[in-house]
Amino acid sequence: MAKKDKKDLWTYREAKEVRSIDRFIYYTLLFVGIMSILRFADWWFRPQHVESLPLFTLLSLIIWYGILRIFLIWLNYSRIRKPEFVEAEKGLKVAIFTTSSPGEPLSMFDKTLEACANINYPHTTYLLDDTQDPAFKAVAEKHGAVWLELVGLPGAKAGKVNAALKMIEEDYVLIMDPDHIPFPNFLDKVLGYFKDEKVGFVQVAQAYYNQYRSFTALGAAEQTYTFYGPTLMGLFGFGSSVAIGANCTFRKKALESIGGHGIGLAEDLITSIRLHAKGWKSIFTPIVVSRGLVPEDFGSFCKQQLKWSRGVFEVLFSEIPVLFKNLSFWQKVSYLAISTYYLVGLTTFLYISIPFLYFWTGILPANMDFSEFIINGAPIIIVAILVYMFVQQWLSHPEHERGFHFHGMILKTATWPVFLLGSLLAVVNADIPYIPTAKKAVKGLSPYTRPLIAHLVVFLLTLVYIIYSRLTIVSEGLLIMTTDKVWGMFSFAFLTIILVVGGIYAAFESKNLEEEEPWSKIDLKKIKL
Amino acid sequence: MKKTVYRFSFATGVVIAGILIILIFTFLGDKSKGPLSEFLSKIQSRVIDIESSYLLSQREPVRSADLGWFNKYRTDKELLKSPDTIFWGIYDNHYQESFENVIKLEDNLNIDNALIQLYIAWGDKPEQEFPMKYVKAINSLGSSPFITWEPWLNDFDRKKHGLSIKEDQNKNGLLDVINGDYDFYIEKWALDVKEFGKTVFIRLGHEMNDPYRYPWGPQNNKPQEFVDAWKHVVDKFSEMGATNAVWVWSPHQAYMMYEYYYPGDDYVDWVGVGALNYGTVAVWSKWWSFSEIFGDYYYWLQMYNKPLIITEFGSLAVGGQKDEWFFDALNKLPQKYPLLKAVMLYNNDNDNTTLNKTLDWSLNSDTLTWKAIHRAVDNWVIDNK
Repeated sequence: MAKKDKKDLWTYREAKEVRSIDRFIYYTLLFVGIMSILRFADWWFRPQHVESLPLFTLLSLIIWYGILRIFLIWLNYSRIRKPEFVEAEKGLKVAIFTTSSPGEPLSMFDKTLEACANINYPHTTYLLDDTQDPAFKAVAEKHGAVWLELVGLPGAKAGKVNAALKMIEEDYVLIMDPDHIPFPNFLDKVLGYFKDEKVGFVQVAQAYYNQYRSFTALGAAEQTYTFYGPTLMGLFGFGSSVAIGANCTFRKKALESIGGHGIGLAEDLITSIRLHAKGWKSIFTPIVVSRGLVPEDFGSFCKQQLKWSRGVFEVLFSEIPVLFKNLSFWQKVSYLAISTYYLVGLTTFLYISIPFLYFWTGILPANMDFSEFIINGAPIIIVAILVYMFVQQWLSHPEHERGFHFHGMILKTATWPVFLLGSLLAVVNADIPYIPTAKKAVKGLSPYTRPLIAHLVVFLLTLVYIIYSRLTIVSEGLLIMTTDKVWGMFSFAFLTIILVVGGIYAAFESKNLEEEEPWSKIDLKKIKL
Repeated sequence: MKKTVYRFSFATGVVIAGILIILIFTFLGDKSKGPLSEFLSKIQSRVIDIESSYLLSQREPVRSADLGWFNKYRTDKELLKSPDTIFWGIYDNHYQESFENVIKLEDNLNIDNALIQLYIAWGDKPEQEFPMKYVKAINSLGSSPFITWEPWLNDFDRKKHGLSIKEDQNKNGLLDVINGDYDFYIEKWALDVKEFGKTVFIRLGHEMNDPYRYPWGPQNNKPQEFVDAWKHVVDKFSEMGATNAVWVWSPHQAYMMYEYYYPGDDYVDWVGVGALNYGTVAVWSKWWSFSEIFGDYYYWLQMYNKPLIITEFGSLAVGGQKDEWFFDALNKLPQKYPLLKAVMLYNNDNDNTTLNKTLDWSLNSDTLTWKAIHRAVDNWVIDNK
């Protein structure tokens, strides 16, 4: 029984404390990691590696951008910190906002509002509704929530939140995603931090309960595990933990000081950076006090990622230039790192192109021995894996979330076209329509699968071409001399294709996903604190 | 204060632990090669084998078919020790990119190069290992690899191999070879040669009697030390089971006393000399004919009663008629020198090893010389005895 409990999703969880010995081990890893990077740099930048200068420069940019990202993550973990728990004061006036839009399933609100009503700390729940459906009003009233009809406001969720802020008297607002089911102790665990007058918002970890539904759902959840644990703990240590869309509790005064909740595709990040620029502090506490839904089908997942990748660049282009001078040094670093994250779409694209460029044109960007590349790069990869494993002790629910997260990796690789599209749209300042993250699986093969299938087809054609050319075109004097390069490059392309095939599998699986209302199975009485 | 001490010792501890880990890694890899690179070269070699046997075997062979006649020689070491014909061979300085240049030139010359030469120096670097990839490529083309193996000793990190530090590693270097200092390297080569399995010509420590050129020469070593070092290496190969090596002893014919460097009939399979005409490019050189460079010494060389090979055959174009030089050299060659069993073209278009300028020995586009060679080879009568 006890063993089973460890994996139970409906139990309150918190990440473990950060001890001195952990820091010691971590700094040692970091030291070895930095040495590995220096060693790699010493090997990489040699004139004899240059085959074609423009291509070598491009390749160096991709590789070193990747290494910079790895280094930033390592640096981030160096300040990993868990806030000391502060008991909530009695008698605070707290509001819970949850928003409903046309098309969202009523039964989900039934569950969420019931769970909100179960929250121990005295509060008022508001349903911010623009469905124009009387059934929503009825369900709000059933669970003692205040129903506010807010129709025709710009900016979807944030617009309604800002309108509602003007209508309430409470001092603190928890913005609850409607697909999240809060635990009764939610507010007890976060309100204490507001004793510090400078604290503007308190974010908790996001956790999910529908991972079991599909490959996509598991992958999407896996992608978030490390972020809603060690990564945000590190950002918190650097004074730049951000709000992340759901389950963030704000001080109303703080939101008012920046003219209300930010509006945009990455509204939470916009809100965070504005609050930080105004000097408000933020808290991230790695606790599981609610569980929600991740996209279950590949198409919805891609839409969500497109929204984020487009939105996050907006922070880079619109917010950072204005607010830069008001941020602390580490906040500057953090926001620059976060807002450029989705460049990974572009770098993945270039990285994927390298082997194909070689097969079709014979162009090699660098004159490097394959095995030397592996030997010199391996220490960085080894340290990166060790760090990844090591920081997993600070996952919010390690028993459940630990692992190599292959599903997440596959989805991340398979969504490179989406990230690329997002960044291109941002560069030309083109809009994508606001698409709410789907709460239920959507049928049909997602159009985002097309680039993946194209990639696979190109790969297979290339394989045929390689075999054909090595049987007929390539001259005998060159054959064995190029075996290692050709098949080395081929395995390079093959590694990505495995991940892409995983993505295609996820998309096809999504096609046949049975519709289900995951919340209907949840028994609120079984939540353990 | 207490906090400062704590932080300081924390930081120191981290640095020490980090250095320890790095040292452990370094120590683990403290062989001439790390375990990972060893593993990767094994993979490379295996991939070549797999591709050759499953994919490339489907291909209609052209060159190795043309060289089909050579198969009986390269698979029979005894026959190779007293061949009944004369082989062509070549060194081409573009071999690391491909052997296309070799194939193109031999088509133009109407010859088959049975031997393809590589120059490998001793040392710790990856390019100083047994060139498995290249010998496999040469083998698949139907030829035998011919490796000039040069015991430069300064590329070994003696400290890394637990050997005493020497100021000049080449000084008395052959004594160190005899004492087994470099056995780790020789044994690795022997194992690789054995793994390759096909005939490999090895010309070890060539021009050992030239006092000006190479560090294994008389300025650093006594003649007897050369003999003993040679025997040490050949014995090591036999000990490791690398019986597929053919040993080529190669003195400089113009410097006398080379007989003191001869390791003995049991240790030598072939005798080789170079024959390069530098023309008038250097102060010390003039336009020498082939019979001046080689012919005048033939009488002494044939006394070893081993098959003879011209290991570098070529002429520059400065100071005379290059095509005529080739014609004179090759005209009735087998009739004139019955023990001469191989000639290796020195097709190097970028030679900067001798003078401090770049010399072009190549025949890649020298149609006049091609014609001269055609004419001369037409006059060959090979005594198949």
